Amino acid sequence: MNDNVLMLNELVKDFNGKRAVDRISMSLAKGQILGLLGPNGAGKTTTIRMVLNIIIPDSGTIEILGQKFSEKMKDRIGYLPEERGLYRKLKVLDTLCFLAELKGMKTSVSRERGREMLKRFDLDAYENKKVEELSKGMAQKLQFIATILHSPELLILDEPFAGLDPVNIELVKDIILEKKREGVSVIFSTHLMDYAEKIVDSLVMINNGRKVLDGRLADIKSRYGKKFVHIEYAGDAGFVAKLPYVKSAKDYGREMEIELDNIAAKDRLLRDLMAKLTLDAFQLSEPSLQHIFLRNVQEGEKA
Amino acid sequence: MKIWAIIKKEYKAIVKKKTFIISTILTPIIMGGMMFVPVLLMRMGRVEKKIAVADYSGGIYAKLVEFNKKKPTTPGTAEKKFDVNEAMSKPKLEDGDSKILFQAVNIGQRAPQDLIKEYEAKILNKEIDGLLLIPADVGQTRQASLYAKSISDFSTNQFISSSIRTIISQNLLLEKQIDPQIVSDATRDIDLETYKVKKEGTTKTSSGLDYILSLAMMVILFATLIGYGQIIMRSVLEEKNSRVVEILISSTRTTHLFFGKILGIGLAGLTQVAIWILCAMALVSRFSGALDSGIIGFLTPEIGFFFVIFFTLGFFLYSILFSLVGAAVNTDQEAQQFSAIITWMMLIPYLIGISVTQNPNATLAVVTSLIPLFTPILMFMRITGSMPPPLQIWFSIGATLLTIYLLAWLGAKIFRVGILMYGKKPTIKEIFRWLRYK
Repeated sequence: MNDNVLMLNELVKDFNGKRAVDRISMSLAKGQILGLLGPNGAGKTTTIRMVLNIIIPDSGTIEILGQKFSEKMKDRIGYLPEERGLYRKLKVLDTLCFLAELKGMKTSVSRERGREMLKRFDLDAYENKKVEELSKGMAQKLQFIATILHSPELLILDEPFAGLDPVNIELVKDIILEKKREGVSVIFSTHLMDYAEKIVDSLVMINNGRKVLDGRLADIKSRYGKKFVHIEYAGDAGFVAKLPYVKSAKDYGREMEIELDNIAAKDRLLRDLMAKLTLDAFQLSEPSLQHIFLRNVQEGEKA
Repeated sequence: MKIWAIIKKEYKAIVKKKTFIISTILTPIIMGGMMFVPVLLMRMGRVEKKIAVADYSGGIYAKLVEFNKKKPTTPGTAEKKFDVNEAMSKPKLEDGDSKILFQAVNIGQRAPQDLIKEYEAKILNKEIDGLLLIPADVGQTRQASLYAKSISDFSTNQFISSSIRTIISQNLLLEKQIDPQIVSDATRDIDLETYKVKKEGTTKTSSGLDYILSLAMMVILFATLIGYGQIIMRSVLEEKNSRVVEILISSTRTTHLFFGKILGIGLAGLTQVAIWILCAMALVSRFSGALDSGIIGFLTPEIGFFFVIFFTLGFFLYSILFSLVGAAVNTDQEAQQFSAIITWMMLIPYLIGISVTQNPNATLAVVTSLIPLFTPILMFMRITGSMPPPLQIWFSIGATLLTIYLLAWLGAKIFRVGILMYGKKPTIKEIFRWLRYK
């Protein structure tokens, strides 16, 4: 059966009596992108650290690249930790070469490839500068380059978009997708649903250490059905949530995501909206990941 | 090899720093300064002392002046007593110039008490440095007095007292009509040369030199260990605080990380010490003619060999301890507290060492030099004193290696746990689970 590059089975981890990860299972198929979603403190980083054998689970099993974790496979994995950090006094290109050498890459190769990547990320002018001279965003980019430089088969990215500006978020997203096309499997954690929604094939949502939802993105969305209306508007939309046939409404200020009790109510909604607001767009849609996320997290908290 | 990458990186990180070059140059200068400045100061303080001599006995002053002038060739006790000073003084002393200028006091009818009063004032006014009072019955009482503002100049006092003694002896003998040549021969001093007996052959040494040199080597060992121990500790702490450690652990074995770091920084330390030793050797061979043969006799290849062995052992032993501290703590302040404990631990052999240099084969020395934590310093000191039985040397090396191995094994495990515990303190249960984990 084993097309999976990653299989977690019933992982449990306690910290000082508090359960950080509670019976989490998931799998990642080769060449796919898996999003590990959840609010801060949900157990995402702990789960990832267990995958990388940085911390040991109290119970449960992990199978990675078809076998139990071993030293040898470290070269085949690229890991971007949540807490970023590099040697402040080391030069930019030397940093890449050192980290690549730790992944078993020859310096002659890593120098050349490192230069290419620096150019792509617009850091080529900093090649011989020390890491401490980089801005925070630049250091983030450098660390991302270090993660992928040795061409790993499995990328494990903990909050890859955190601290990046929109231009570089796009760049990182492009590279993740490019890697996917090369057959690389990717698991990444984030609490930014917008970005996750655009690239994941499947997702696992965790909250308070427990899995609350998982599956393929398309399946999850269709499970919620097309009971959603997305509008762009101008005016005071405070009344919408109080309409009798509206189940919930998420107001973003100029846009709004409205969940109906029944899709049949959409015509009435349009009429009511046009009476009081200036509408720029009105579209039937699937629920956004953000909506699903909030729904699940809130329900989980009530339970 | 991944460990090689770490060794290279750690080594370069230190050797390429400006502070490495600066400390390589400055340390010998400062150490040399610490050894030579006191000597220089002593010399500067000894520019020519004017000492008034009130010779109530009448027969001493003239000969005292004569002794003082012809010091190196004068037959008499003064000659060898001044040996130490001669070594430190300019050659002009050998030309007969004297650092002490004796002036005769015209005593007249004055009593010693009056003279003392008069000269006390002169001494305080710095007209004169001292008053030497030789009573009339000095031959019987053997008592003379020196009044001076500063009486700490040991060699001057030695010179005066021994000169007077010789003069009295000579006068006594001359009074008995004995041939002056015989008198001169009879009162000549003995020159005691010291030889160190070793298996490989006997060498000439001066006993003071052995002590100073082995103490100097111990200080180098101690200072280097503390310096580089701190570097290792900070390096671990930096990796931990900058979180880069997570990438490292996901890339390579903790043991590689641990040993790579210690080896890399250790090689940098050895490089620095090697530079010093090579420079010292170059200086020694360049000026070997001018140097006391004792130094060359002391710095044998054998001593060099054991210095490298024990320096290396001590280095690894203590750097493992320092890196453990780095892995276990979270802040610089905490690190300082813990490293102080290690420093105190290193001070113990230093303190015992002083007695070891004086008596290298006493029970205390033997027992303590076999305790691994003290071996690097104490066993080396014993070797510089008198070669201990080979069994003891090899046992101490073996025991230290075993300790290093055990500490390293334990260290790599704790390193693994401690380094990831940002702020979180591991429970005992957790540490044990980590120790079991391979």
